[in-house]
Amino acid sequence: MAQAPFSTRDTVDFIVVGSGAAGGIMAKELSTAGFSVVVLEQGPYLKAGDFKHDEWGYDHNEDLTWGARQGHPQTFRKSESDVAELSAKASLGYAHNVGGSSVHFSGNFWRLREIDFIEASVKGSIAGTNFVDWPITYSDLEPYYTKVDWEIGVSGLQGPWDPPRSREYPCPPMPIKSPGVLLERAGKQLGLNPYPAPVAILSQPHNGRPGCIHCGFCNGFGCEVDAKSSSMATMMPIALGTGNCELRTGCTVHRVNTDEAGKASEVVYWDESGVEHAQKARAVVLSANGAETPRLLLLSESAQHPDGLANSSGYVGKNLMFNGYSSVAGLFDEPVNGHKSIPATRVIHDFYELSSELGFYGGGGIDSRHLSRGTPMGFALGGSHFGGPKWGSEYKRNLEREFTHSAAFDGHTTSLPLSSNNVSLDPDVVDKWGRPALRCTYMDHPDDIATMKFFYDKSLELMEAAGAKRTTGFYPENGQDGNVHLLGTCRMGNDSASSVVNKFNRAHDVSNLFMVDGSSLVTSGRGQPTMTIMALAFRAADNIIQAANRGEI
Amino acid sequence: MPAKPISRRSFLKSSSTLAKGSFIALTAPAILAACRQAEENIGSTEPSFSTLTEIEGKELRAIAARIVPTDETPGAEEAGVIYFIDAVLGDNAEKEYGQVRSALREIQAESGIKFGASYFFELTAEQQDQVLTDIETTPFFATIRYLTIAGMFSLPEYGGNKDKIGYKLIGFNDAHAWSAPYGFYDADYALKGE
Repeated sequence: MAQAPFSTRDTVDFIVVGSGAAGGIMAKELSTAGFSVVVLEQGPYLKAGDFKHDEWGYDHNEDLTWGARQGHPQTFRKSESDVAELSAKASLGYAHNVGGSSVHFSGNFWRLREIDFIEASVKGSIAGTNFVDWPITYSDLEPYYTKVDWEIGVSGLQGPWDPPRSREYPCPPMPIKSPGVLLERAGKQLGLNPYPAPVAILSQPHNGRPGCIHCGFCNGFGCEVDAKSSSMATMMPIALGTGNCELRTGCTVHRVNTDEAGKASEVVYWDESGVEHAQKARAVVLSANGAETPRLLLLSESAQHPDGLANSSGYVGKNLMFNGYSSVAGLFDEPVNGHKSIPATRVIHDFYELSSELGFYGGGGIDSRHLSRGTPMGFALGGSHFGGPKWGSEYKRNLEREFTHSAAFDGHTTSLPLSSNNVSLDPDVVDKWGRPALRCTYMDHPDDIATMKFFYDKSLELMEAAGAKRTTGFYPENGQDGNVHLLGTCRMGNDSASSVVNKFNRAHDVSNLFMVDGSSLVTSGRGQPTMTIMALAFRAADNIIQAANRGEI
Repeated sequence: MPAKPISRRSFLKSSSTLAKGSFIALTAPAILAACRQAEENIGSTEPSFSTLTEIEGKELRAIAARIVPTDETPGAEEAGVIYFIDAVLGDNAEKEYGQVRSALREIQAESGIKFGASYFFELTAEQQDQVLTDIETTPFFATIRYLTIAGMFSLPEYGGNKDKIGYKLIGFNDAHAWSAPYGFYDADYALKGE
């Protein structure tokens, strides 16, 4: 077999579009199994030494996430009857770099539980939604969750509500921070069961990477010591080390072509200088995330596939789920210093499933954080957080106290899958390549908003029990206008009429096309999807390799 | 067709929220030049700007100094925020700079009407606060507040957080490594063996 780098004249075994949480795993698994792999990534290959504590660069200029300034505008509307408007910041947020959003995410790493896979049949269907069971169960995925734990590197301690696991966490939990202590004490006082939050951040050296140095810049930032277990730090080096994998950065894929038999035959992309190329492959894996994967399928329409590739169900782009959230902050007498170390060290999962007696569907978890991710610029822009002037001497006094003396209890909650929440192609706005921009249509289901309110109220109760002198908080009672959890847009299922991929992430319509990323989730989980995205990728890779070896792709 | 009349207060038209109205949506990251500019200027009696005129510099400096005032602790003035603002407004922001200039002219007119002064920076602090309070829900104020605070609390190399004055103000120590205990409550937790 040819060694990397490959020529576009070569027909490689696999093209993987995107190198994020799932794409990095696909590249590593397929290349170590001996297949030739080309990975196409829009962004650059940034490494630990490239990252800085640069809020102006990352938050204002969107250096990692990219927006209209970089030529990638997006539009948003709440309802399909509205005309979508240009979003000030990307509504569907993700990082454009090798490792994707696994580089700049917070590292919170919850597994789904048994109930998540069978919840529709246990709780009953919900009118007007596409709430259904998964085609797989927790026990199908458990071995791959454990594979993620050990290959990626996860720190934690089995909690009272956690589903069974076949192997312990590879790293012990991260040291508790003061926001975690406040949540733990308040939770115990209310008869709840707080426990260490599982995170994809190393508490001690693992697989040749160092433990965390607790600098505090996780959420929104790339790790400067490779202690965060991103695809960039964990998977891509192994993939590239096989000699079977070529990574092409700065490459924007705009089309997947099919042959007369209807199979994916080549992927068309622009390189950094705008030159168009077409790479031939025996099979194509789309791991471009829950926004870009459906966009690419819709852009790949043809006479054979008039509604977009792999879209005979009409479900490509539909059922977009975000996860809901709430946040309650409290001001304390003593220094909390939540800006140090990782975002969350304790979590409460006693409300994973809300009682049906409440009259709505939902569930989630509550963790403990700093009120502004611990970053000075974002914090100061939001002050006075507990009321008071937004400028002047009193504002300044408030800043002095609030930064070091506050903690936040954040709720992370379910989103229901709805056809009316979706990713589509904007009819008017184009990106710098002339492609229709991503258009997001999203309005949280009333049950999702009721769930957010429940977690807001519960967090407030906890904050008061924690002894906060003042409290403030928020939940999006009028619906969210964007998120970074991009789920459900090529859902997995057994029925090709109501799903896009089968239970091994293979497109129902195109036998050598696989969608492996957040798009295949059937339900939203309770708020931290990356662990599940990675486990699904390991499982898909396992089955793709077996199928390829049997000549069944 | 007659030209559409321009409302005198068009650039100071109120928006519904304080924080969301900023019209600085886009700037390029090339403002590192601000660092050098700021270094050269701090402490200088005749500061020079790359974009702003001398008068505009004085006006915006005066506004920034009311947003994060100098009192018992240093403020926007000592942090050199004006050089950050100068750099941002000079960086592919012609439209935004034009809006700022127009708004400053309106503020100068207000300063004249209310207090008989030619310039905002000539007013007393109390008078300045009165003028700013009147416009605190405008996109212009949101923009200058945003730039003042962003400059003061972003990386010092951007030029507006001289000597980490912003960081020191809020008790943020940008050490790149920490070890437990981080705060009072986790120290207490360890002490009690919880």
